[in-house]
Amino acid sequence: MEEIVTEARPLKPPVKRQRRRWSWNTVKEQRQLIYMSVPLLAYIILFAYVPVWGWTMAFQDYKPARSFGEQTWVGFKHFQFLFTDDNFMRVLRNTLAMSIINLVLGFATAIILALLLNEIKKTFWKRTVQTISYLPHFLSWIIVTGIVATSLASDGIINDLLMKLNLIDKPIIWLSEGKYFWGVVGASHVWKEVGWNTIIYLAAMSSIDPALYEAADIDGANRYHKMWSITLPGIRPTIVILLIMSIGHILEAGFEVQYLLGNGLIVDWSETIDIFVLKYGIAQGNYSLATAGGIFKTFVSITMLLLANWTAKRLGEERLL
Amino acid sequence: MGDRKRVLLRFGAVLLLALSVTVAGCSGGNTKGTDAGTTNNAGGSEVGPEQPFEISVFLGEAGQQPTADNKIYKKIKDELGVTFKFEFLAGDKNQKLGVMIAGADYPDMITADTKLTAAGAVIPLEDIIEQHAPNLKKHFEKYWNQMKDPNDGHIYYLPNYGAYNSEVSDTYYSGPAFWIQKAVLKEFNYPTPKTLDEYFELIAKYKEKYPTIDGQPTIGFEILNYDWKNWGLLNPPQHLIGHPNDGGVVVNDGVGEIFADKDYAKDYYQKLNEVNAQGLLDKEAFTQNYDQYMAKLSSGAVLGMFDQHWNFGSAVDSLKTQDKLERTYVGLPLVYDLSTKDYYRDRPSLNLNNGFGITVNAKDPVKIIKVLDKLIEEDWQKLLTWGVEGEDYQVNEEGRFIKTQEQRDNASDATWKLANKADAYYGTAPKIEGYFSDGNATAASNQPEEYQASLKPFDKEVLDAYGFNSYVDFFSPPPENPIYYPAWSVDLVEGSPAKIANTKLNELSTKYLPKAILATTTEFEATWKEYVSEIQKLDIKAYEDRINEVLKWRIDNWTVK
Amino acid sequence: MRRRQGAVEPLVFHTFNTVFMIMLVIVTLYPFLNTIVVSFNAGNDTIRGGLYLWPRQFTLQNYKAVFASGTIYDAFLISVARTVLSTILNIFLTTMLAYAISRREYIFRKPITAIFVLTMYFNAGLIPGYFLMKDLHLLNNFLVYVLPSMISAFNLIVIRTYIGTISESLVESARIDGAGDFKIFWRLIFPLCKPVLATIALFVAVGAWNSWFDAFLYTSSRQELSTLQYELMKLLSSSMNANSNPAVANGVGMEHMTQVTPISIRAAITIVASVPILMVYPFMQKYFVVGLNVGSVKE
Repeated sequence: MEEIVTEARPLKPPVKRQRRRWSWNTVKEQRQLIYMSVPLLAYIILFAYVPVWGWTMAFQDYKPARSFGEQTWVGFKHFQFLFTDDNFMRVLRNTLAMSIINLVLGFATAIILALLLNEIKKTFWKRTVQTISYLPHFLSWIIVTGIVATSLASDGIINDLLMKLNLIDKPIIWLSEGKYFWGVVGASHVWKEVGWNTIIYLAAMSSIDPALYEAADIDGANRYHKMWSITLPGIRPTIVILLIMSIGHILEAGFEVQYLLGNGLIVDWSETIDIFVLKYGIAQGNYSLATAGGIFKTFVSITMLLLANWTAKRLGEERLL
Repeated sequence: MGDRKRVLLRFGAVLLLALSVTVAGCSGGNTKGTDAGTTNNAGGSEVGPEQPFEISVFLGEAGQQPTADNKIYKKIKDELGVTFKFEFLAGDKNQKLGVMIAGADYPDMITADTKLTAAGAVIPLEDIIEQHAPNLKKHFEKYWNQMKDPNDGHIYYLPNYGAYNSEVSDTYYSGPAFWIQKAVLKEFNYPTPKTLDEYFELIAKYKEKYPTIDGQPTIGFEILNYDWKNWGLLNPPQHLIGHPNDGGVVVNDGVGEIFADKDYAKDYYQKLNEVNAQGLLDKEAFTQNYDQYMAKLSSGAVLGMFDQHWNFGSAVDSLKTQDKLERTYVGLPLVYDLSTKDYYRDRPSLNLNNGFGITVNAKDPVKIIKVLDKLIEEDWQKLLTWGVEGEDYQVNEEGRFIKTQEQRDNASDATWKLANKADAYYGTAPKIEGYFSDGNATAASNQPEEYQASLKPFDKEVLDAYGFNSYVDFFSPPPENPIYYPAWSVDLVEGSPAKIANTKLNELSTKYLPKAILATTTEFEATWKEYVSEIQKLDIKAYEDRINEVLKWRIDNWTVK
Repeated sequence: MRRRQGAVEPLVFHTFNTVFMIMLVIVTLYPFLNTIVVSFNAGNDTIRGGLYLWPRQFTLQNYKAVFASGTIYDAFLISVARTVLSTILNIFLTTMLAYAISRREYIFRKPITAIFVLTMYFNAGLIPGYFLMKDLHLLNNFLVYVLPSMISAFNLIVIRTYIGTISESLVESARIDGAGDFKIFWRLIFPLCKPVLATIALFVAVGAWNSWFDAFLYTSSRQELSTLQYELMKLLSSSMNANSNPAVANGVGMEHMTQVTPISIRAAITIVASVPILMVYPFMQKYFVVGLNVGSVKE
């Protein structure tokens, strides 16, 4: 029993084989690993890295009809347009705010829901709840925002409910106030994705050794103890890895929700970088500006990713890289 | 040892592959056609069933593939030997055109876009029309100069609408207006409000009398300001001072200037501010989306709004199916004061930068133009618009075309149309508009008999009360269009300072105008000042200069000498 | 003390949990249910709004409009083919690579991981991507649905993390028995990864099923290669166009009575597009509840 408990602590697998120094002998010894991975490396370089020559567009006034040699080079003009626009700081703030709200809410709700689902004993009921909770994932944002807008209308269900509970005495026009907007976006995301996001945690939970729970039962641990000291540590590597990956996406607050729910009154709170780049980039046939926006986002992403990874290393957590 | 070699070989192969792709990618855009002018005399065999000919067409608009046995396309194939292979756009046009241009992957025929012209993707058409297309030449005779590209004087596209062969007596108005529920007019014995003040007075009186309609709170005035559908908020000022729809500018003596920051614009928004204080404006006007707007209109509780009729057509349909005819709308051409003549209704103008062009990839442009030339003959046009005689319409003893109710229903059934109409072609093709030589209208909707048949008794009652034949009579007959009209069709050139200034102006208006309207009467002044000063920070000059440059070019070149 | 807690506490917890789950079910079922209701309701009645849990004017018109176009049956088959092929390829290749980079002794472990991870954070852009497909002769080619997306870095890392939780001693003992890396991967790791592979298969299948952008960009000029999602997308856009394009709306004239509006078409399309893929999930569920039950049975 004892042995199982120590072994199944998944965080620190016994590291017996250290990484080898690079020598022909090692290559030969690891040739099967090489066959399994290097062709795929070549594949990803071809499909993901080779097209990066297109980033040169950000430094040109790119015209699709011209060949590479005929393009006009303009240096940092498009980056300058981006960074010096009056609205840029505002859209950056909005993007960060909504992205952080989505990140925190998204993680917290999905983990809590996964833990609670895990406590349901009846398989049928559990599967039913799971299946239903991930349905909204399959609806497009336009449908979901449509329902959100109807629910938030002055005669919508939210206002009705608050009035009946006597929390307010006249309907709130939710979408006319910037201060509510970020919350509305965050809540909409949770509504649409919480069920879907639990899937990965539930899969991770299934790798936890049942013997651990049995041992804990014998020790008389209660439900919360088991959640806290068995289930959560069991999915901890997954949580940490997903968190690091998401932190890299800090500038991806999306544009559809904000675009569909936004309006003139709250544009100062709703507009994100993606909307900004869309409006002045692709919508104007300005592929260069769109590319410059993309490069900026990549730069921030990778910086944040490395920072998060470094922090995880410092804290002795699972690392991405 | 063998392993090592193999590993090295693979690395090498990957590197080579990667490199070759990079090089190929860089030179990818190089293959654009340079032989645009030289194809004129190539090919051009006769059009007929013995020589089958396929034309690939890209339509820069959403649409559905006609059925394989579509009766009109079958006729075209049987009699002309021509098949069309359509590709419809679903998704973002800018993205699709971007890759199409970059890869020079064009079909034979394509719908107009200034990006394509700029990329040299389409061939000049004026010479091959002169030589091979007498019908098209005649069709566009009056409009020849207008079709020329302002940049190089060539004709690249054949406009799909706006080339009329005679004056049309409209029975149906789908343009901008202040709309008011017929019930309001009926309630007060059919008055004709002419000014903004009279209009809101009527609405206020009605709302006071009927605070609810069918159990729902009455909404006095509605404004839609959602996404690109923001003309309900932005456009009224130009009409209120007696100008037609020129988009963002008002044109006087051939010179345009923006009106967003002018005092006559302020007057309108100040009025709306008062209207809001009176409680007539929908509280949710500026936060609603299009679906919510339509829901309110179709509930019958909205007394009035500024909009273009086609934008709320489905709400009207819904009201009709609910038998709430008195809740449908009449368009009113309001002005600030009675000394101003209304100019909402305009004469049709040529639909520039629309219609088909022939691409540099087309193997036989002459034959394509011959096909288009054939299809603009009257018999083909009748087939394309009215359909097959006896099946889709009847001809009565006087030679007039009429439809049965079933035939009318078919014409609005999207599924039926896929098998029985050639809309994918007809929508973008050059077409005869006005009247056929036998006096029948080219479109069923303009045939007076068809209009009369569509009128319900309630409509007749309303029209009789005013002594009008149709609702169009509320509007003054449109004068001859100024040569340069309309200014909204000026191509601002994407990514140019003019276009950016326009985008930013739009942004400011959708942001500040709602604030100003919802502000208290005292705050209005301050908000308006802020709005105007924000506008002044923009490069409005670039925008106005671009408009005026093109207007001047039009005046110089479009005049028929 | 412990005994009393054991008796009352689970009851409180389960009551709370059940109530919470019921609320969750209501809140998350509603949008889908509402979409179904809209899809069965007459278009020009739906436009009035106020439609919640039951259709006011029942009709099959919206579904008729969706199925009227003959193109969607072929497109359905293409969609199924691409989804199945993508899922199989993704599962096999991604797990294989994940195994390789989970080996701590592997000399290329770090560079390969980094190169894949970074792909999540950049995008070369539309036009260079198009050139690549063109140069590889993938335009208007079925393989363009499968080849560019055989491995996703996200899935790779998820599987790698999962493999990391599998006891190293299992691998060690297999190696002592003389198994090579490929054999260890195929015989040992792959079967052990079932729960996470079920999840990844779901992610890949849903992604492949729902994507339309590749059809839009790369195969739009060959109708026979069109996918279900793209056909539905075309249907939706054309219905929106018919209702919002002044030229089209004018042409139709004053008496057009649209039976089918964009809102109702969109609802019907959503149902048609998502029901086939929804079938996959319950099927996958059985792979990842195993093992869980054992621990929580005894209280």
